[in-house]
Amino acid sequence: MPYDLTVNGQSHSIDADPSTPLLWVLRDHLGMTGTKYGCGIAQCGACTVHLDGTPTRSCQVPLESAAGASVTTIEGLTPDSSHILQQLWVELNVPQCGYCQSGMLMAAAALLERIPNPTDADIDAYVDNLCRCGTYPRVRAAIHKAASGSKV
Amino acid sequence: MGNMPTISRRRFIVSSAAFGGGMALGIVDADAAFLAQQPWASGDGLAGSELNPWISIGADDIVVVRVATPEIGNGCMTQTPMLVAEELACDWNKIRAEFAPPSRDFRQDGVYSNGGGPIGYFSGRSTSPERMKLMLQMGASARERLKAAAAAEWKVPAAEISAKDSVLTHVPTGRTLRYGEVAGKAGTIRLAEEPAPKPQSEWTLLGKASPAKLNIPQIVNGSAIYGMDVRVPGMAYAALRQSPVHGGRIRSFDAEKAKSMPGVLAVVTVDPDEPRGLKIKSDAPFGYADTGVRAAVAVVAEHYWQARKALDTVQVDWDDRAGAQWKTTAQMVDACIAALEKPADKVEGQSGDVKLLDRQEHLVEATYVTPFCDQAPMEPLNGTALVTADKVEVWHPAQQSKQAFWVAADESGMDPSKVTFHQTFIGGAFGRRIFADDLRMVVAIAKKFPGRPVHTIWSREEQTRQGKYRPLVAAKLKAGLDKTGLPAVLVVNQASKGHFPRLADNPYFLGCVPNVLVDYRELPFHVVTGAYRGPGYNSYVFMVESFIDECALKVGMDPLDYRLKLLAKWPDSGWTKVLREVADKAGWGKDLPKGMGQGIAISNWGMNGKPEAGTTVGVVATIEVTKSGILKVHQLDAAFDCGRVVNHDAVLNLAQGGIIFGLNMALNEEVNVKDGRMVEGNFDQYPILRTGDTPQINIHFGGLSGHDRFAELGEPPAGPVGPAIANAIFGITGKRIRSTPIRKHDLSWA
Repeated sequence: MPYDLTVNGQSHSIDADPSTPLLWVLRDHLGMTGTKYGCGIAQCGACTVHLDGTPTRSCQVPLESAAGASVTTIEGLTPDSSHILQQLWVELNVPQCGYCQSGMLMAAAALLERIPNPTDADIDAYVDNLCRCGTYPRVRAAIHKAASGSKV
Repeated sequence: MGNMPTISRRRFIVSSAAFGGGMALGIVDADAAFLAQQPWASGDGLAGSELNPWISIGADDIVVVRVATPEIGNGCMTQTPMLVAEELACDWNKIRAEFAPPSRDFRQDGVYSNGGGPIGYFSGRSTSPERMKLMLQMGASARERLKAAAAAEWKVPAAEISAKDSVLTHVPTGRTLRYGEVAGKAGTIRLAEEPAPKPQSEWTLLGKASPAKLNIPQIVNGSAIYGMDVRVPGMAYAALRQSPVHGGRIRSFDAEKAKSMPGVLAVVTVDPDEPRGLKIKSDAPFGYADTGVRAAVAVVAEHYWQARKALDTVQVDWDDRAGAQWKTTAQMVDACIAALEKPADKVEGQSGDVKLLDRQEHLVEATYVTPFCDQAPMEPLNGTALVTADKVEVWHPAQQSKQAFWVAADESGMDPSKVTFHQTFIGGAFGRRIFADDLRMVVAIAKKFPGRPVHTIWSREEQTRQGKYRPLVAAKLKAGLDKTGLPAVLVVNQASKGHFPRLADNPYFLGCVPNVLVDYRELPFHVVTGAYRGPGYNSYVFMVESFIDECALKVGMDPLDYRLKLLAKWPDSGWTKVLREVADKAGWGKDLPKGMGQGIAISNWGMNGKPEAGTTVGVVATIEVTKSGILKVHQLDAAFDCGRVVNHDAVLNLAQGGIIFGLNMALNEEVNVKDGRMVEGNFDQYPILRTGDTPQINIHFGGLSGHDRFAELGEPPAGPVGPAIANAIFGITGKRIRSTPIRKHDLSWA
């Protein structure tokens, strides 16, 4: 039985095993590879998407639970990379290898939605994604800069 | 990236069957968006007019620069074009980078790998002397040919033409031509004499600018194609399970259930003992010794999750073989320590007479141990290969493209002229993806399922447990201190498996201490070892820099002063400059509340026995340890000397990241063995620091000597963080930490 899913505003009907994690539905059934596989156990956050607006580790959401939901992925964060975080990520040279950064951006964007001017503690709590290259100081700096920019 | 319509996939399968495996090389019917985003060259030739194998310019002024170094996060995909742009005098915004194809390198006499041997296609060293010289020359030559073409067009001397921002100007008349307007003609011009690149003093981009890295726009919208993101028509997915004891074999297996599960196409095995190999002389830069496959079962299916679920049902009876004798990590550590008392297999450094050890004023002796560690790149190992009767095509996140190209040929048995290699982006490597043992496994699976591209994914657990780890090392260090308190004799006996003989590559062993001996013994462990950020260095710096503190404290001297005195004889003032800079900036010796303290350490990666070479890094750790033993690293200050800097922000970025890597390595990382099997599988067992765990990190540029070199920053910072912290811990708690990870130690104090 196909499952209906809305991804970045587009509706899809997906015929897959109901236990298939949303992560693999996106990557493999829909060909949207911006959402990354890092651990499969909700530790690393590379697979973070917004599920009905909530930042969610998509490796932990089976297709049957996601059915009917609206999903936003990195490809749909903005159509033209115009999110202030996307712009600052470029300006501040945040990524190194970049593999974790889709998830990092989705977590950071969700944080700014909820807390437009987050403290360091807010960032620590909401953006707890793993980055092996050690981009944390720049991730933090970019979020703070985005927050100060959004007040202008 | 758009959807992959099911219809096109079906069409592909039908046509590939119709051709009976004689399918044309290259992507057939591929998704256009995917092609537009690919970081690899689409063929041997460059788009636009080729001025040399590295540079082409289109009619639209777009400059394509070929980059041989895979991008592992160190910015080399941007650094190489910066070297070109400095001399080409083109508009930076017109630059595009693509990975240089190993197939052309093979066909055209090593055209892309001649710049540095094994380093030619290696992911690091984008500012090595060979590479800088080559790319600056290519940029200068291209510029002069553009000028010559404009000169012919205007019938004026080339000397009257200036080049700037992709525009050629005839200075006397003010006439202009865009690069794109003369690129075609320039491509046909031969210069009587190649121009000399300009002196560093005239650089306008290098040393001045730190543009945004070229690949970040693709990273922030999710379109950058890593190995994991390869989606080619007809592609099937494979999940694999390798022998849980390294070196084991499959005795038997039952995959009946898996074969009947939805989407499953095949269950294949990989046997290390099967005959394989290409019967021609190999040009693999690192050879094949470190590329062996492991015994494995893989399920090939239409979708990854189908393969993964089916693999879970496969029952394998493993023959554990010799590795099973190692019941615990402790047993292996004990074996290393016992070996230290036996004769050495090899001496890696020796001078003076170490028999003088017993005649010194003070004797200091300690044994140190560092564990197996996994590189743990965020992108688990993976790769994609299509094997047919007469062609092989691979898409791979290789850390050395040429190595991977040859391994693909060797494993498939296909002549290299029929192998096409596509370099993808890489989600971290840290040494794990150098040898292409991962690609050998990918091809080994794909050749058992020929005719369709097979994309094989290691689960995180498989990645961690099937590692090529930093070696487990035990070392006994002995110092004889003379009347001044400095060591007159220094002896280091090491024992490990897969040893990297690097410890003696350090001023202490190259003249600062008159009588030295460094040797090692190799143990017969089954655990596969390999490169990890700063091979060898990542382990010995912890040992040596902790031990030097032990020596200093034995004679009641300040650890900073002790190092300054010890290094006074070393003919590279960068070391003392780095020490003074980091100590000054960190406020070394300042009053701190009880429970807080500082530690210092210094090291160099890449000096290869010479002063004024490689990169020296000094770190001061400012930490707190509560009486109950909770460690908090408040601040890490680092100063460094890589000579000079061509890209300030790139250096800063790598230094920050390298310090965090070194911090995690020291605090958290170890892979253990139980009954021959690797224990830790995922990040719940192999912790990595997060944003909230990261201390204040201050990188200071005041240690730079200005010596004429641009040494790398990727590996050097990982070394001195651990010992600086361990030395600070001793100051607070009186407990000397002689093994990592530090989190395993009881740091409580009274």
